[in-house]
Amino acid sequence: MRLTIKITLAVMFGIVLIFSVYSYQSIEREREQIKRNLSREARHIGESLRVIVVELWHQRGQEASMAFLDRANQGYSDTLVRWVWIEEGLPEAVQPRVPLSHLERLAQEETVTLMAASAEGQDYLLTYLPVFTPTGRIGAIELSESMEEMHDYVQESLRRSALVIGASVVSGLLMMAALGSIWVGRPMRQLRAQAERIGTGDFSAGVNLSGSDEFAELSGTIERMREQLVQAREAEQEATAAKIEALEKLRHSERLATLGQLSAGMAHELGTPLNVIAGRAKLMGREGISPADIARSATIIHEQAERMTGIMRQLLSFARRGEARKQPVEVHLIMRGVLPLLEPTLHKQQVQLRLEEAQEGLVVCADAAQLQQVLLNLLLNAIQAMPDGGSMTLAGYPAPRAKPPEDLADSDQRWVCLQVTDQGTGMAPEVLRHIFDPFFTTKDVGQGTGLGLSIAYGIVQEHGGWIDVESEPGKGSSFSVYLPLHVGGRQS
Amino acid sequence: MEAFCLDLSPRVLLAEDDHELRELLALVLEGAGYQVVQCDNGLQLLGHLERTDDVAAVISDLRMPGLGGLEVLARHRHRSRQCPFICMTAFGDELTHNRARQLGAAEVINKPFDLDEMIALVERVCLRNQETSGVKQ
Repeated sequence: MRLTIKITLAVMFGIVLIFSVYSYQSIEREREQIKRNLSREARHIGESLRVIVVELWHQRGQEASMAFLDRANQGYSDTLVRWVWIEEGLPEAVQPRVPLSHLERLAQEETVTLMAASAEGQDYLLTYLPVFTPTGRIGAIELSESMEEMHDYVQESLRRSALVIGASVVSGLLMMAALGSIWVGRPMRQLRAQAERIGTGDFSAGVNLSGSDEFAELSGTIERMREQLVQAREAEQEATAAKIEALEKLRHSERLATLGQLSAGMAHELGTPLNVIAGRAKLMGREGISPADIARSATIIHEQAERMTGIMRQLLSFARRGEARKQPVEVHLIMRGVLPLLEPTLHKQQVQLRLEEAQEGLVVCADAAQLQQVLLNLLLNAIQAMPDGGSMTLAGYPAPRAKPPEDLADSDQRWVCLQVTDQGTGMAPEVLRHIFDPFFTTKDVGQGTGLGLSIAYGIVQEHGGWIDVESEPGKGSSFSVYLPLHVGGRQS
Repeated sequence: MEAFCLDLSPRVLLAEDDHELRELLALVLEGAGYQVVQCDNGLQLLGHLERTDDVAAVISDLRMPGLGGLEVLARHRHRSRQCPFICMTAFGDELTHNRARQLGAAEVINKPFDLDEMIALVERVCLRNQETSGVKQ
């Protein structure tokens, strides 16, 4: 609306200026006209009077003509008629109101008309008609007419002009305000609201202004922009969804690869109870077995089947592709979760795992299954780094002094560390540089996908953390997974 | 005491960390006429091997806490008194089998196995051992 006000004020100023100039000129013209009319009228009267005065002067003398003038004076209400001598040093009653220097043309028998102001500040129109007396002296008939009436008239004209200008300004302002609000204010508000909605990412509602003015054009442009943004956003969402799906597929296949690595250990876990079940079943089928032995075998079969079910459940829960769900979870529970899956492999590879469990109450907001995937990756790598067995440590602890990478730098954030340390072969610096690259592997063909660590890094990054590695060839490696400490939430 | 023992049934050392499987095997072997000495880890098995003379056969799991079957084999192979080893494993890959055989295992059997198959294996191994001992004598 401010623009409307500006334009209105500019237009109003122009109108007032034009009106004022026009009024001023009109009034001036009228004044001139009035003056001319008055002057002509005075001259006519004066000429009539002069004829009579001259005639009287010749026939009856000076006294009679003066008396006539006095009488004539009484006949005009607005005009004062007087006899004056055009000579210096005479009494004021017979002296002209203006200095004689203004009346030199009287000597050439010309009538003189001029304006003069009295001592009281009143304006007069003075008309002098020369009379050459028989005695040779020059006299004149002076007609003086007050201009007050004309002043009043001009004042009135001025007042009317001012009134007209004022009324025009007021009605113009009101009209501009009303029309400005309808033609400019309302569409402007609509467009602004739409621009703000689009700015906040709300592309749901369109705006359509009717008509063919600039606002309608602008609304069309905004509408096209909104449609393009909607399309762009949809395309982006589709791309993101496709990316997430691809990542999820990749993670799932990596999870299955991890499962393959664990399968040798799991075979033992399943093979032994299966052996017991098969054997017991066979025993029960033999002749001459006592009912008590049959009952015992049945119990053992049941127990072994339960044991196998438990193992199957663990495997399935790990292998199942699940929705990524982050929730507050105790760190030591995540650590414990990987042990049953890893135990057989540890046994097989003659690796001792030392567990330094995190204290209770150390909570991170995480998808526990994904973090277990990360830990399993690191632990299996550690086991593979110790082909002749050895010992490794899985530790969880608060890490207040952790130094995050620059993109995560947040002075208030507190961190939790999950650390896997092995006494394996270690890694050379050139290997260390690439370990998080996808498809980078030092293992033999078929032994690893080269995706484990890159996926682990992706998962940890998604949780707002990072992985640090320290390694020395021949001495071992240490992987530290840093995650933001979850404060204030309830543990799961 | 052992010198006067008239029990002529052949003695079998059985090492398996899973209690249920061990008990089942012992039951079946005893039923087949063997005298069974049970161990639940490799160290115990090694001790029995050092102390016991007349062992007809050893049945050992490869994966056991502490000392595994392969380690027991490796330590025992240089002893003068040889007895046949039957190794049980759930990691039935070629590598494990070869490794066990290289270390002197007479047979390697994959879990899960048939109990009758195990008895037959023990009988065959004992017979073969008796024959080779007889030739040596």
